[in-house]
Amino acid sequence: MNILIFGFVNSVILALIACGFALVYGVSRLANFAHGALYILVGFATWLFLNRLGINYIGSILLSIIIVSVIGAGIYRLFLIRVKGMPASEIIASLALGIAIMELFRWRGFISEAYMLPPFINGSVSIAGVMIDWQRLIIIAVGLAMLLFLWLFTHHTKVGLSLRAIAQDKHASMMSGIEPDRTAVISLAMGSALAGIAAVVILPLGNITVETGYMVLTNAIAVCIIGGLGSWAGVFAGAFLLGFAEILTAAFIGPQWQMVVVLLFIILTLILKPSGLLGRQKELEERV
Amino acid sequence: MTLFKEVAMKKRGSVNPIGIKSVLILMMLLCFYLLSSQVAVAQPIVLGVPISRGYPDGVDAERGITLAVDEINAKGGVNVAGTKRPFKVEISDTRDLEPGVPVSEGLLVVERLIIEEKANFIVGGPIRSEAALAAMDVLSKHKKVSILSAGVLSPAYQKRVAENYEKYKYCFRTTGNVVPMIEGTIRTFESIKAKKGFDSAFIMVQDVAHARAAGTAVKEGLEKKGWKIIGYEVYPTGATDFSVGLSKAKEGKAQYLIPWFDMPEVSILMKQWYDMKVPALPIGYIHALKDEPTWKATDGKVAYSIALYAKAGSVATMAIPMTGAFVSAHKKKYGIEPRSEWTSTSYMVAYILKDAIERAKSLEPDLIIPALEKTDMMGTYGRIKFDPKNHQIIENGDPKETAVDMWAQWLDGKRVIVFPDKIATKSLELPPWMK
Repeated sequence: MNILIFGFVNSVILALIACGFALVYGVSRLANFAHGALYILVGFATWLFLNRLGINYIGSILLSIIIVSVIGAGIYRLFLIRVKGMPASEIIASLALGIAIMELFRWRGFISEAYMLPPFINGSVSIAGVMIDWQRLIIIAVGLAMLLFLWLFTHHTKVGLSLRAIAQDKHASMMSGIEPDRTAVISLAMGSALAGIAAVVILPLGNITVETGYMVLTNAIAVCIIGGLGSWAGVFAGAFLLGFAEILTAAFIGPQWQMVVVLLFIILTLILKPSGLLGRQKELEERV
Repeated sequence: MTLFKEVAMKKRGSVNPIGIKSVLILMMLLCFYLLSSQVAVAQPIVLGVPISRGYPDGVDAERGITLAVDEINAKGGVNVAGTKRPFKVEISDTRDLEPGVPVSEGLLVVERLIIEEKANFIVGGPIRSEAALAAMDVLSKHKKVSILSAGVLSPAYQKRVAENYEKYKYCFRTTGNVVPMIEGTIRTFESIKAKKGFDSAFIMVQDVAHARAAGTAVKEGLEKKGWKIIGYEVYPTGATDFSVGLSKAKEGKAQYLIPWFDMPEVSILMKQWYDMKVPALPIGYIHALKDEPTWKATDGKVAYSIALYAKAGSVATMAIPMTGAFVSAHKKKYGIEPRSEWTSTSYMVAYILKDAIERAKSLEPDLIIPALEKTDMMGTYGRIKFDPKNHQIIENGDPKETAVDMWAQWLDGKRVIVFPDKIATKSLELPPWMK
């Protein structure tokens, strides 16, 4: 039961972390390597608003998410638009920005273990004999809500449909009057907001460190590679595969092998099905 | 009549005598200032501090050294053969604690401090053992006396000094050594066993060399004493979920949880332990528990957990009189109590050097080294004496005789010393779900 409950929580955490990265790539074909930096940016910003400016918790969270969305949009408008179409340059530019943001925090002294966000609800509850804290249950609820929201947004709103259209066929969409740069800005802003939502629900479990940013980026990439870039279902499939694999490894082999298992899954995916479990990116090439 | 007077008389009508007087007075004042400044400002003694500034350990060391130097300078500085000279701190970032940063970077920093900043002494770091061991050759090459006061618990450091004294005699260390640290740990567990009757433990360690070595040594040491080790798990650095290990500890009915971690994510372990109400007392090397604001940040979920400090000093105790003034001064300057042991050890480094320089009446290594070897003073972590053969601080005894470690438990929002008994301020308490 422990494995089932904590495996589920771990999977939802991975899915939340990867959602924003997958959205940006799925829509604009941009690999936003500043994803991890935006994640901790929201963490530190919320902490600062809450503890330094005295804004209430909900206000701090909303303000941080709005700010990170603007920064995400700015990253595209000011930097990535100039290198668009050159994948290596896009990766280098976004990675450089991400490192700059993360190391800026280190430089400004955000290195204490005391940078923590409070849980939404304190306390624990027993589920089938397993004690679990409310914050982890909230993570599950937020993860499922986010999945529902993304489905509704991309299937039933004009902006969401335009994002899907661009992702499916850029040229046909342009002929229909959809502006690709505008959708890319929206996707970056939304992807950053999703990173922010993930940060504010996950970070109360531990503390906010610069290293977390690097780890979040690695995990997001791993989930997307395994699940398949450009596929929502793939993101969740990848997250659940990795999430349970990590917990099972910790339970039966040893926690120190968790990262090895993740890397093994990535290698196997790249060898056997480079497009990922449910990815559509290279399916045609693979068939050919 | 001199030519000067003739010219002066001819020009008398056009030159303002008040102007000449003003210029002369200004020149006299300038000469007086230059002469007096040469007399009053003695050449500072430069302390080169190579530390990893991007990590809490580095910040702790920096704070300790800066605080002590400020205090010493405020009292006139160091008396070097009758001349009062101030300390000047030159801090440089080695980044040696950051993952992937090569040792060579730390060595370049040490060399730069010696050559460019003209450091008279190297104190503080490097903090990572690998970097500190490699820096021994640089210190030897430049004949620069060094006192390590942060990190570096590897026994290899003192072994190298003992085996090749002539080459490495410049290297001193106050941080401690993992061997007596583990011996002290086993003694502490035995002491708790005697008091509470617990004898089963679950060990969780970080996947880094020092933690794995310490974890294995604790496991073997406890097993020899008849303890039951329910489990031994190694977690990768950055691990964010400890639920499986905690469940195993709970199911195995472990009475102690022994974490050995220096990564900040260990706070997740503590929160999970609290939320899952695991009936095993966390006691170990838990770096993230040492920050004073940790209590507030975790909403008190670190309650009852006990962290080992390689040296005392971060919490005031009557048994070591200097701790009271040190903790107060730190709180006044930085707004919080000293965090890790490296603040206490780095604070004392400046005082140890001051004492040695004043006895040696010189900054020359050949005179300073014997003076340091004869160091015998009370500090924030007990009595400070070096083993003259390997330049390692003598530790783990009575604080009146040697340096001592400290075990502090979080109770009611405060860190209180529960071990060793000679410096303890309170008795160990168990969480309500263990009673």
